[in-house]
Amino acid sequence: MSRKLTSSLFLAMLVLAGAMSLKTVVAAQNNGAVMMANGSAPVPPPNGRNGSAPVPPPNAWNGSAPVPPPNAR
Amino acid sequence: MPDSIGYTIWFLGAILEVSVVVCALAKDAFRRYLCLNLYMLFSFLLSAGRFYVLAQFGLRSSQYKYFYYYSDAVLTIFLYLALITLYLHVFDEMKVEKYVRLTAVLLLAGTALFSYGVVQQSQNKMLTGFVYELSQNLYFVGLVLTYILWGTILKLRESRTQLIQLVLSLGAYFSAFAATFALQNMFPHLEFFTYILPVFGCLLPLAWAYAFLRLSPDARMATARLAVVQR
Repeated sequence: MSRKLTSSLFLAMLVLAGAMSLKTVVAAQNNGAVMMANGSAPVPPPNGRNGSAPVPPPNAWNGSAPVPPPNAR
Repeated sequence: MPDSIGYTIWFLGAILEVSVVVCALAKDAFRRYLCLNLYMLFSFLLSAGRFYVLAQFGLRSSQYKYFYYYSDAVLTIFLYLALITLYLHVFDEMKVEKYVRLTAVLLLAGTALFSYGVVQQSQNKMLTGFVYELSQNLYFVGLVLTYILWGTILKLRESRTQLIQLVLSLGAYFSAFAATFALQNMFPHLEFFTYILPVFGCLLPLAWAYAFLRLSPDARMATARLAVVQR
């Protein structure tokens, strides 16, 4: 592999890693909101968003017992 | 369904998108910034398509959701290509177009592979998940690339006013969306974001239309002299 191809690949991977890190930081408290950045059309509402009642937490956190793994049957 | 304010902003955004293409054609800049203009043209056409689907099926319909997210992925790819075109303009005197294109293709392929890796566990609606994930990831790649491009412009002392205006407005647009996305996650029940995101969608075509209409392609900014501080 030529040196310039290697450096192009390295640059691309560096940018990708930086972008995904930034995404992780920005979406750290993601609650299902979507970011669509093209045009000014209204974004379709995500599923299960009827009304303005607070959304319950995803896991039932009653007590302090360890949560079983999701695929344990 | 969106209310009258939402429709007004949407209509205004569509008008501004097509005005970018008209201004570029009038000022003979359509071919120079072909991908930017194609992005705006497709954005206008897809806005019309979205309006048709919305009027036919409603905001909460599956048809509108599919059309919206798939068209958004197409537009994000066009925006990515437009950004690469700006890179080619900045680096045009360095004769490195081949490597810019190679890096852009590798980055696009890497983003697609990464997005596939994220959604490959899901059994159903995998293509939809992939399209959605690719659109989001490519957006953040574009954000990082815009900042790198702005740093390059500063480093190379690029002085073409029109090019700087195009890049800066794109950077402000990406940053505003990322900041709003973060705030939306922190304060999910604020209705404020319903209108602020479509308004941002209007500001980019407004800035680009201004750049094509008012700024000459040959106009140059006077670069500031560096102050050398003696220690």
